[in-house]
Amino acid sequence: MYGRKACQLVKEFASGEKDQLTPFNNDLFDQVISECSQHHHELQSLIRKMQEEGLDVQTARNADHYGALIHLFSIVRNKRCLTAYVYNRTETIRNLLWKIGPVIPKEIEEKLNHWEEEYFKKHSAALRDYMSKALVDLTVDMVPPKDPYIQVRVLEDIREGIVLSDNKNPNFARHSMHFLKRTDAEKYISRGLMEELAG
Amino acid sequence: MASRSVETEPSTQAEDDYNAMLSTTDVELLKRAWRNEKAAPEILPFQSDLIARVREQIELMEETVEEKSTLGTDPLSVSLYQMDLDRTLFLLRSYLRIRILKIEKYMFHIQKTDELWNRLSKDEKFFTERCSDDLKKHLEESVLSKLPENYQSRERQSIISEEDDMRLDIFKFDLPELKSICNRVPEPRLDTFVLCRSKDYLTGIQLGDGPVDDRSKLFEMEAGVLYFICYKSIKPLVESGKIELL
Repeated sequence: MYGRKACQLVKEFASGEKDQLTPFNNDLFDQVISECSQHHHELQSLIRKMQEEGLDVQTARNADHYGALIHLFSIVRNKRCLTAYVYNRTETIRNLLWKIGPVIPKEIEEKLNHWEEEYFKKHSAALRDYMSKALVDLTVDMVPPKDPYIQVRVLEDIREGIVLSDNKNPNFARHSMHFLKRTDAEKYISRGLMEELAG
Repeated sequence: MASRSVETEPSTQAEDDYNAMLSTTDVELLKRAWRNEKAAPEILPFQSDLIARVREQIELMEETVEEKSTLGTDPLSVSLYQMDLDRTLFLLRSYLRIRILKIEKYMFHIQKTDELWNRLSKDEKFFTERCSDDLKKHLEESVLSKLPENYQSRERQSIISEEDDMRLDIFKFDLPELKSICNRVPEPRLDTFVLCRSKDYLTGIQLGDGPVDDRSKLFEMEAGVLYFICYKSIKPLVESGKIELL
């Protein structure tokens, strides 16, 4: 039936968990695209047929006219479904950017298609650009601060790129515990390298 | 903190004065702007003067903390200053962040609505443009360029503009409902309910919802009392600062 595959695609997204990305369904996506080409082809041949019969395409109301309409509407509908699928995925991608920062982990990268990766990069660049203009880093301070310092435990060895606001160079060995400035610790916590100790 | 200062509890004159002073500090104003922004479904006007002042104050506070911590004589007051600074910074960041999140969500709608567009700061405008260009390009590359030729050029705009004739002109067909399906851009829902409070007694609020015969009645708000109300009907009052959201 016309339009069913596009509907499946949208349903697949809708039934997925919110903020969870499923792998891009290239297979189904391409099938819908080719369905569109097929519709287009048949639409063209119907119009040609009407023209050959000497009918005015704009005013004639015969079976071919309505047949052509069905094809036209199918394309429009499919297009709408495809855009919805892609658009809603970008929304999830943008939310991910806030949660995990500008580096895509491997397991998520596999779920994105080529353009989505590009988009992710571009969007995170746009965000970075805004933050550097506004002179504030919006990715820290996600929860209201209670205390300027928090107790954290290091979950994985962090050897490189340690930047703390007091310019000290601590040894973040695995399982070691530290008392850090919350703003310093947050970026490690969001990357899963540290955890905050309750209390 | 003075978050409860506006509530009408019995208090002495001195306390009232103190509360009145607190509620007009920039941090308090920022807190109000932040609360409003957080609760409102649509983007509110950017508080450019306030934000500029708050930035200056943050710089001053940073200097104070710096100065005091190099002296190293009074670690307790340093950490108090630091905490105050962190809280103000959080408010500022969160305020800007909420706005950016709204922009990300409703970029096309904001872009085509002048009223909303003018509420953005210069940097936000730039960000919005860049964002929507990126998204348009992404949609074009991954969907539209793969569709049959005739459906790309005009239809590309179908998610962002009103004029999408979808080649219906071949058939001289006018199907408004079909056009409207194809022109949906995500818009904020203004008919959601919000918690709000007024500082003064307000009257003559027209409620746009509820049963039809109730609509003509005007609603009044007591000062300091919490109401749960449809955002649409108090929208102008939020914009003029008469009502604050929670």
